[in-house]
Amino acid sequence: MSNVTQGAVLGKDDPVLRTDGLKKSFGGLTATDDVSFEVERGTITGLIGPNGAGKSTLFNLVSGFYEPDEGSVSVNGTDVTDHEPHEIVGEGMVRTFQTPRKPEGMSVREAMLVGPQGQTGESILPLFTSSSTVRREERQSLERAEEMLERFEIADLATQSATDLSGGQMKLVELARAMMSDPDLLLLDEPVAGVNPVLAQKLAGFIEELHAEGQSFLIIEHDMSFIMRLADPIIVLNQGSVLVEGPPDAVRSDDRVVDAYLGGPA
Amino acid sequence: MSTASLTDRIGSFSRGEQVATAGVGLLAAVLLVGVVVGWITVTYLLYLVALAGMYVLLSMGLNVQWGYGGLINFSVAAFFGVGAYGSALLTADSSPVAGGFSPVVGLVAGLLVAAVLAVIIGIPTLQLRDDYLAIASLGLAEVVRMIVLNEREITAGSAGLTGIPLFFADWPVLGSLEYPFVLYVGDTALFTMERSLLIAELNVLLVVVFIAVVYLFLRRIHLSPWGRVLRTIRTDEDLAKSLGKDTYRFKMQAFVIGSVIMALAGVFYTHLVLYLNPQDLAPVLTFYVWIAVILGGSGSDRGAIFGGFTIIALQQGTRFLNAAGTIPVDPAALRLMIVGVLIIAIVRVRQEGILPPEKELIWPGSTEGSADE
Repeated sequence: MSNVTQGAVLGKDDPVLRTDGLKKSFGGLTATDDVSFEVERGTITGLIGPNGAGKSTLFNLVSGFYEPDEGSVSVNGTDVTDHEPHEIVGEGMVRTFQTPRKPEGMSVREAMLVGPQGQTGESILPLFTSSSTVRREERQSLERAEEMLERFEIADLATQSATDLSGGQMKLVELARAMMSDPDLLLLDEPVAGVNPVLAQKLAGFIEELHAEGQSFLIIEHDMSFIMRLADPIIVLNQGSVLVEGPPDAVRSDDRVVDAYLGGPA
Repeated sequence: MSTASLTDRIGSFSRGEQVATAGVGLLAAVLLVGVVVGWITVTYLLYLVALAGMYVLLSMGLNVQWGYGGLINFSVAAFFGVGAYGSALLTADSSPVAGGFSPVVGLVAGLLVAAVLAVIIGIPTLQLRDDYLAIASLGLAEVVRMIVLNEREITAGSAGLTGIPLFFADWPVLGSLEYPFVLYVGDTALFTMERSLLIAELNVLLVVVFIAVVYLFLRRIHLSPWGRVLRTIRTDEDLAKSLGKDTYRFKMQAFVIGSVIMALAGVFYTHLVLYLNPQDLAPVLTFYVWIAVILGGSGSDRGAIFGGFTIIALQQGTRFLNAAGTIPVDPAALRLMIVGVLIIAIVRVRQEGILPPEKELIWPGSTEGSADE
C-alpha cells in the first residue's frame, strides 16, 4: 500500500487543473472541506467516493457553477476562481452533466454545432456583415461534427431529432459535442450512469482512444470496474475532503478506502 | 434518402400546414363573400388586415423571447405601449410634451426607449432563473400603464392623445396627395379613390413592409449559430454555459430585439388608429399575443404570423356574430371563453402549435456538401 498517499498528491509536473483549499458550505453542511488536488496533463484522473462525499459539489466548484467560500481554482496556470462557467471553458476546461437534457427541436448534428468555441455567427452583427465567414465556419464545424459522430459510431444519428435518442446515445453525443470545443481537460460527470453495459464498454474504449491521443480527463464515476479500468491516478473523496490518491489497484485494496465505503471507523 | 425526403418536404404539406392553409383559405373565402354581399366594406377589411399585421409584429417579437430563448415576458403590452406612446407624444398635436415631430422621429424614439427599458429590466432579472423575469415583467406592464394613466402632465392621462398624424403624413408624395384621389386620362376620370380607402391601403402596405423587414431579419438570426445558442438555452441554460456560452449576453440580446419589435407594433398602431389612451395597454393584449405565439408554434416565425392573424379573426369573428344577432351572449365573454378553450385544445391536442419550427435549423448553404453523399 506504499504508493497510496494520504491526501492528494500535490506538486505534479504539469497540472492542467489545480485547486487549493476549496471550501463550500450549504447552511450548516460543509460539502467541500479544504480540498486541494491536481490533475496532471495527459492523465485520466478518477474521482470516486461514497454518496455524499462531495464529488458533484467539487465539480460545480471547479467549473464555475458554484462559488467557493474559500480557496482557489486554476486552469492551465490561470486563476479562474469566481469566474463565470463560460469563461472557464475559454481557459480550456469543459464539463458534462450526469443527466444531459435532450435539446428540443434540434437534430443531433445541429446540437453538435453548439460545441465549437468563438464562432463568428454567435454575434448578431457579423450575420449581416460577413455572412460568408459564417457559412465557411458552419461548413467546417459541420464536417468536424460528422467526423466526430463517425468516430463515436453514431454517424447514422446525425440528422435525427435529438429528442429521439436513448439515454446512452445522448451520453455519446454529449462526449462528442464536448470534444468539439477542443478542451485541454474534459470533466465527465458519471459518463456511464444509466448506460447499458455494452455501450459502457464502447464508451470506455472511446475515452481510452482519446486519451492515447493526449486528451486529459477528470472523471467522476460510481461504476468501479469502469473507473478502475480507465483511470490512473484515482482520487478518493470522503466527507468533503480528499482521503487518498493513488493507482487503481492500490486504492482498491486500501483499508482507508474500504472503511470509507463500508462506513467503518474513519 | 436525403433527396427523397427533400422532395417529400416540398411536395406535400405537413398536417399543420394543411390545417393552416385550410383555415386561411376558409377565412379569405368568408371575407370575400362578406365584401361582395356588403357585410363589410373594403376599407374596413383593409383596416382589419392592418390590425392583424400589428398582432403579427407583436407575436414575432414575443417569439424571439419565448420561442427562441424561453424567456417568459408578461409585459408585451408595456413594450407595445412604450412604442405607441413614445411616437404619439412626439408627433401628436395634443401632446403635452413635444408634439409636431415627424412620425419617423417618433418611430426611432419609440424603439430606442423600448430598447433602454428592456436593458433596464433585463439587467437584474436575466441573471436569475426564468421565473424572475416572468414576475418582474408582470409588474412592469402595470407600472407602465399606471404611469401613462396618472402622469397627466406628460401623457394626457385617461383623456388620451388625439391629433396623431398618419405615418406617411409628411412624406413627399403620399403626404400631399389630394383627396379623393382621381386619376385623369385627358378629361375623363379613369379612376377615383376615397381618402379613407387610400389611407387603408397605404397602412396595409406599411405594415407589410414592417413585417417583411422584421421577418427577414429574424429568419437570418434564427438560422444562425446565435439562434442555435438560444435554442440550447431554452432547453437547458446550464448546458449552454458548460459549452462556453455567455448566456446572459444571448438572453439580453433576444430580450431587447423582441421588445423593440413589440414597440414597432406600438408605433404602427398609433399611426393607424390616430388615437391613444391607457386602455390600449391593458394586460389582455399580452395574453392575446401569448396565445398567438403558442397557437402558431413556439419558436416558429411563420407560426407567429399565423397566430397574429388568428387573433384578429377571433376578435372580429365574435363581433360579427354578435352584430348578426346570432348569439345570445356577450361577445367579450364569449371571446375569452373561446380563448380558454383554444388554450386547452392546443395543450391537449397539439402542444407544438399549428406550424412548429423545422426540425433542423442550420445556416443556409452550409449543408450542401453533406447532402451530396
